[in-house]
Amino acid sequence: MVTAEKRAELKATDASLIDRIVQRDESALAALYDRYAGMLSSVLNRILRDTQAAEEILQDIFYQLWRNAAQFDASRGSLSGWLLVIARNRAISRLRRHNPASGDELGENTVVVASNLESSIAQQQLMAKVKSALDNLPKEQRAAIELAYFEGLTHSEIAQRTGDPLGTVKTRLRSAVETLKRDLHP
Amino acid sequence: MSGEHPTRAEDFDLYALGALDDAERKAFESHLASCADCAEKVAAARGRMAMLAFAAPPTQPSPGVKESLMRQVIASAQGPGGSLAPVKPVPADGGVFARWWAVLLPAATAFALATVLLWLHNEQLNRQLADLRNTIQQQQKQLDEAHSMAELLSSKDTVMVSLAPQKGATGSARVLYNSRNGMMMYDGVTPPAPMDKSYQVWLVPMKGAPIAAGWFTGRPDKPAHMMMKLPEGIVAKAFAVTLEPAGGMPQPTGPMVLVGPIS
Repeated sequence: MVTAEKRAELKATDASLIDRIVQRDESALAALYDRYAGMLSSVLNRILRDTQAAEEILQDIFYQLWRNAAQFDASRGSLSGWLLVIARNRAISRLRRHNPASGDELGENTVVVASNLESSIAQQQLMAKVKSALDNLPKEQRAAIELAYFEGLTHSEIAQRTGDPLGTVKTRLRSAVETLKRDLHP
Repeated sequence: MSGEHPTRAEDFDLYALGALDDAERKAFESHLASCADCAEKVAAARGRMAMLAFAAPPTQPSPGVKESLMRQVIASAQGPGGSLAPVKPVPADGGVFARWWAVLLPAATAFALATVLLWLHNEQLNRQLADLRNTIQQQQKQLDEAHSMAELLSSKDTVMVSLAPQKGATGSARVLYNSRNGMMMYDGVTPPAPMDKSYQVWLVPMKGAPIAAGWFTGRPDKPAHMMMKLPEGIVAKAFAVTLEPAGGMPQPTGPMVLVGPIS
């Protein structure tokens, strides 16, 4: 009986877990944490290279989800995508010493993700796909996109960092996103 | 760009990536504010760019983060534990108020002290409750896995495959697999994978390309153990383990470490 309930929880959709969080069900938050904490921890650690800061942000994101779950509209966007966007934004803000984001992020950042990331297998498969797509990019394009994504640098900042002409950086990034769009979402 | 749609599809991805410089970004945002169509495209571009997060080396947060989160959640649900009403100032001339105050002050102090003590006790109980819930969750997870394992072991159509090391490799593993429900259990011992590498388990089907069935990094102090749910109804002819870039690959690219055919 207990096992069946637990299994049902593992199979529960993000939307149903959000509904339960709105009803103040702590176990639903724990289930979402188990589902996505590893994914978020990876990107936070990659950006910040500081485990303590990464864990502070991780806890804060889930606490925000607990407090503001009612604002999340699952029909408009994906929870996994929203979590990834918020985690990255907060880590970049911390890295660049910007002000922390406001608490209204749940309504602001609609994110539509083509893949369903609710199972760990799906996450592992996507990880392999992304790694393969990045490996296939020319070295300079890959470096540019990593500087933009993991360090939050703009075109001009990347040009300044690498010493390459601004036009070259723009072309590299444009080609990189075009290729990734094709490879990740054929 | 204000008032006009972006001219190229990649503009949405570059905006979502945060690569646009200030002036370009502001122009883009002023257009977005009044264009629902472009706002939808930005939502999709955010999703595409968010996938780049999966290029990060996989890590797991320490267990304390979840415990602390659940404590924070429980504490927030129960509030700060009561607060005292503000005390009105005593009139300068004293009189009856001063006499009442002389009686009420010790009582109010005692009440405040009791409130604080109760609140502290409540916090302690909350922490214990969170710990207990965490333990229960862990035990339920173990129970769930044990149930899946028992089901796998007791099913007559489950096959057991022994994986042997390939030339130059060391280690061994055992896979239990049931094609009817897609359940797979892997247990194996391999040396730790080199930095930036992972071991990846593959189901090799009778027809078609190998199917990724999880990855692990290998630890010297602990055998690798995984329960995986694979697509149902796939007839396997073998299982294999290869050494791949950290996080695994969609198809095998690295050297074969272990392999076991299904007889």
